[in-house]
Amino acid sequence: MPVISYARAIREALEEELERDDRVFVMGQDVGAYGGAFGITKGLQQRFGKRRVFDTPISETFIVGGGVGAAITGLRPVVELQYADFVAIAMDEIYNKAAKWRYMHGGLFTVPLVIRAPEGAAHGGGPEHSQSPEAMLMSAPGLHVITPSTPADAKGLLKSAIRSDNPVLFLEHKALYGMKGEVPEGEHLVEIGRADIKRPGTDVTVVAWTTLLHRALEAAAQLEKEGISVEVIDPRGISPLDTDTILTSVRRTGRLVIAHEAPKTGGAGGEVAAIVAEEAIDYLAAPIIRVAGADIPMPQNSGLEQYAIPGTDEVIAAIRSALRD
Amino acid sequence: MDEATQRDLDLYRGMRLVASWEQRLLRFIEEGRTSGFYHAGRGQEATAVGATLPLRVDDYLLYDHRGLGHAITKGVPIDRLFGDFLGTVEGTTGGLGAGIVHIAWPEVGVLGQSGTLGGGFVLAAGAGLSIRYRNTDQVVMCFFGDGASNRGTFHEAANAAALWNLPVIWLCENNGYAVSVAARDAISVPQVADRASAYGMPGVVVDGMDPVAVFQAVQTAVERARRGEGPTLIEAMTYRLRGHYEGDPETYRAAEEVAEWRAKDPLITFPQRLLAQGLVTQDQLDAIDADVDASVEQAAQTALLGAQPEPDRIFRNIYA
Repeated sequence: MPVISYARAIREALEEELERDDRVFVMGQDVGAYGGAFGITKGLQQRFGKRRVFDTPISETFIVGGGVGAAITGLRPVVELQYADFVAIAMDEIYNKAAKWRYMHGGLFTVPLVIRAPEGAAHGGGPEHSQSPEAMLMSAPGLHVITPSTPADAKGLLKSAIRSDNPVLFLEHKALYGMKGEVPEGEHLVEIGRADIKRPGTDVTVVAWTTLLHRALEAAAQLEKEGISVEVIDPRGISPLDTDTILTSVRRTGRLVIAHEAPKTGGAGGEVAAIVAEEAIDYLAAPIIRVAGADIPMPQNSGLEQYAIPGTDEVIAAIRSALRD
Repeated sequence: MDEATQRDLDLYRGMRLVASWEQRLLRFIEEGRTSGFYHAGRGQEATAVGATLPLRVDDYLLYDHRGLGHAITKGVPIDRLFGDFLGTVEGTTGGLGAGIVHIAWPEVGVLGQSGTLGGGFVLAAGAGLSIRYRNTDQVVMCFFGDGASNRGTFHEAANAAALWNLPVIWLCENNGYAVSVAARDAISVPQVADRASAYGMPGVVVDGMDPVAVFQAVQTAVERARRGEGPTLIEAMTYRLRGHYEGDPETYRAAEEVAEWRAKDPLITFPQRLLAQGLVTQDQLDAIDADVDASVEQAAQTALLGAQPEPDRIFRNIYA
């Protein structure tokens, strides 16, 4: 199976979907000849031309709202916000237009819009270029929020997102762009809303995504040497959330750790914890534990970044805590 | 009958239909059949009708909360519009009872309304982008008020549309007030249209109480857009003869000012003008009035038969 980077996997998804459906187009800042701030769209304008892949002015409300307007008039736009933090700039367009236009207008429209945006801490991006804002959008009825952790999932989920008739916020993690992984050849689609048990286990359930998915896998590998069997579930997105897979696992293990890079307060981990507490309290042998970013804006100094986000040690400590009787 | 006279009769009929429909709705409100929350368009019919009549059925419309003149003239079935206020399943929103917001009818190009004022600007630009992408000669008509013109979304949408020659007509209905704040106390230049040149598009101020003036200005803009020459900003100077909402104490404007504009009521001045010019007869106008009133009443009766939605209606159409 080919081994390619998360960035290349996303580019391949765009390429394949642009090829497949003439209604698909890509717009955003610097996505054209420049190939995108992170090189994700490199070569796409060269191959498909300026009609299909083009640059916009710095106008986030137009990037998203214009995408909505194009989506309700027959097209399938894939728009890019240069940083996921910029969802705040276009919040009305995402939360109230893209997500709700169908419902508000009695179901008369579909909004097949994909909004791609790189989230997460990397290289000292600072407080306004490092956020993982998925939880802010989790409460938007009508919107799907996807957070892929691996190249295969990034490719398969982006293809599904582009083919979905629902608006999708596709949050890529910028620290994972260089990460390599196996990606199946041929038409590779991953169903939206289906979690993936990245590592089966029996003693404790860890639900984690993006960078913390990888920290959780590292933690599980280390703890295996002590005879502790950790089940690591990657929800692949938080809306829709695959509660069935999570609950089935917790009912078996009785212990749950949730890990995400975004700050703890108001993070999506709270929603997962509440659902499990509501529906599986009798199965829990220990309190639910959340491992998450500090409740602070990300400091600009790249040397301080590591103290704001949890690492493998924090996940290990949480698992040990969950295993205490 | 020559084309211009036919157009004038169509404008008269259109305005009369809009006003008559609204009057009938106000009766529904008085009878308590629907919530009183309504933003009357009385007085602005010449703009709503004059600007919408030049459009084709496949042109797109994004509109705002000021009356239903845009939607009615574009061809949304008027019984369904009543249905949206009565909250029945026959309304365009199928029971969500959207009333003054969110009426839509894609088969005549009505794309809906943003509840947040000015939210529609960027959608209009996006619809214009879609037209250019698909290489058709459709246009987008985007209605908004003097108040909404200050939103940042206007700036981004106007820039994109002018930059890329998108077929959008920005139609500002300047009625002098947002809710209570006068246009002169909110806008940094004398006319909204003064800003057009800043975006590289033509800006035109028209008498919004004269349906022919509005019609002609829009027709020019529509033809320009269809030729691929880009957007136009048209500012129609008009006035709302009723409050911002039903029950508005209107403490922010003087009775004299309202009276001054009432004298320009297009439902009175336009037919007077047509009669004075000998272009139409009173009989023709009376026949139109009777026909319009009959169709409005029939639509009202049809709408009253509509069923209220079941509670589970609220869970439908969240996702496709």
